[in-house]
Amino acid sequence: MSQQRRLTGPKKYLAVLLAVVFILLIWQAAAWSLPSFLMPGIPTVLERLFASIQQPEFREGLAGSMSRLGAGYGFALLFGIGFGLVGGILFFFRETLRAAIVILQSIPSIAWVPLFLIVMGFGNLPMIVVVALAAFFPMALSVMNATESVQPVHVAAARVMGASRWQLIKRVYLPAVMPELITGAQLAFGNAWRALISAEMLIGFGQGLGRSLAYSGEIADMVGVMTNILVIAILATLIDQVVLEKFKQRMLRYQYV
Amino acid sequence: MHLSFEQVDKRFGKLEVIKGFSGEMASGELVALVGPSGCGKSTLLHLAAGLEKPTAGKVTADGNAITQPGPKRTLVFQEHALYPWLTLVDNVAMALEMQGIGKSSAREQAKTWLGRVNLAGFEQYYPHQVSGGMRQRTALARAFIASPEVLLLDEPFGALDALTRMALQDVLRELIEEHKPTVLLVTHDVDEALYLADRILVFSNRPARVLKEFNFTHCEKSHDLSEFASERKEILALLGIKTEVEHS
Repeated sequence: MSQQRRLTGPKKYLAVLLAVVFILLIWQAAAWSLPSFLMPGIPTVLERLFASIQQPEFREGLAGSMSRLGAGYGFALLFGIGFGLVGGILFFFRETLRAAIVILQSIPSIAWVPLFLIVMGFGNLPMIVVVALAAFFPMALSVMNATESVQPVHVAAARVMGASRWQLIKRVYLPAVMPELITGAQLAFGNAWRALISAEMLIGFGQGLGRSLAYSGEIADMVGVMTNILVIAILATLIDQVVLEKFKQRMLRYQYV
Repeated sequence: MHLSFEQVDKRFGKLEVIKGFSGEMASGELVALVGPSGCGKSTLLHLAAGLEKPTAGKVTADGNAITQPGPKRTLVFQEHALYPWLTLVDNVAMALEMQGIGKSSAREQAKTWLGRVNLAGFEQYYPHQVSGGMRQRTALARAFIASPEVLLLDEPFGALDALTRMALQDVLRELIEEHKPTVLLVTHDVDEALYLADRILVFSNRPARVLKEFNFTHCEKSHDLSEFASERKEILALLGIKTEVEHS
């Protein structure tokens, strides 16, 4: 392509670096202007972070959060992609599902917690379901909307080749919606992550980032609060910008050549 | 494969696209369908491909009713019908993979076919990296690799410049002479129809009806179509194009 439409290489990293510096600067400015028991500065928090990483408790909490995320987000991806694709070829099902999603999506997933707690009991399950619910809607919607814009000529060409329904889905619909699918997966991840932290803060079962954050707040340990927030931000950025971005470049290789 | 249309009607809702069309295409014959845009020529191709069903009447191939698409009857589209996420070789190979042929064997054959349409060395390119002419060469390879008995061409070179188009017409003619499928060619280009076709059917506005048929069986043709000047003039006149200088 002759025209460059996106930043690449060092320039892109520079832009990201600038954003990080900007955020840290605001934080540090706040720390300088407020008393340290209210707003700890970056060095104090980093020190606590490194100390925490040494503790097995902290690492177990992290593992707990990540496994809840993995289970909930994984379910949402699987079902979101599945329902979205089926909606792509069954028009009546699509409209029904879309209407249902529009209604259900308006309810913050965290609002289901009281119900889930009573129905499913106090444990991991309600948190996983909340995460799955939060991620499912954007995932299914983006895949479903993308199937509508699959080019008829691409479908016709495969049908002429003798493609079965399953081959049509696997070889035409799925790759055709891949760009929107990945955008949907990134959107869904954002939702899943927010739902996870809120659910952990609210339910407070077992160990996890949200629980640890809420506990630090309860005992007015601001260094702990900021440490947890920092970990939440770093992890989410890593997953979104490194893992999902890499996956995107791999799946959409043809767009980058 | 012998194609036959018997009193075919096709309506999309209230829109009457084809009315009472009958026609026979003998095995190995190349019939060009020429007519104003939107007159229903492409719909005839879709009926022959099995992508659409006639509202009334019958479409048959060797006497069997066409009810669904199948690899024996293949369709080449105007443009953008290659999959942008597949390399050229994978685009061509997909036609074989859909018939249950293994990936590596399909790839091997696809490679040979790309060579056949002068695209050796471009196997690993994606469609957006090559020219429109190269994309249509790939589309031809993808169509011929499945050894179709009926080839349906829907303005296959409509988006190409005149010189590329003529080069592609020669590629197509060679492939057709080698493999002898029955060909239905929809085109807006009267010269293309004259150059390639054994027979030309000129269509009216919608609902499509044949205004006149021209027969060129056993004519030796080159891109110099001057000996067909009178037929050319007549076809253009039927399509409502002026061919005389007006004196006032």
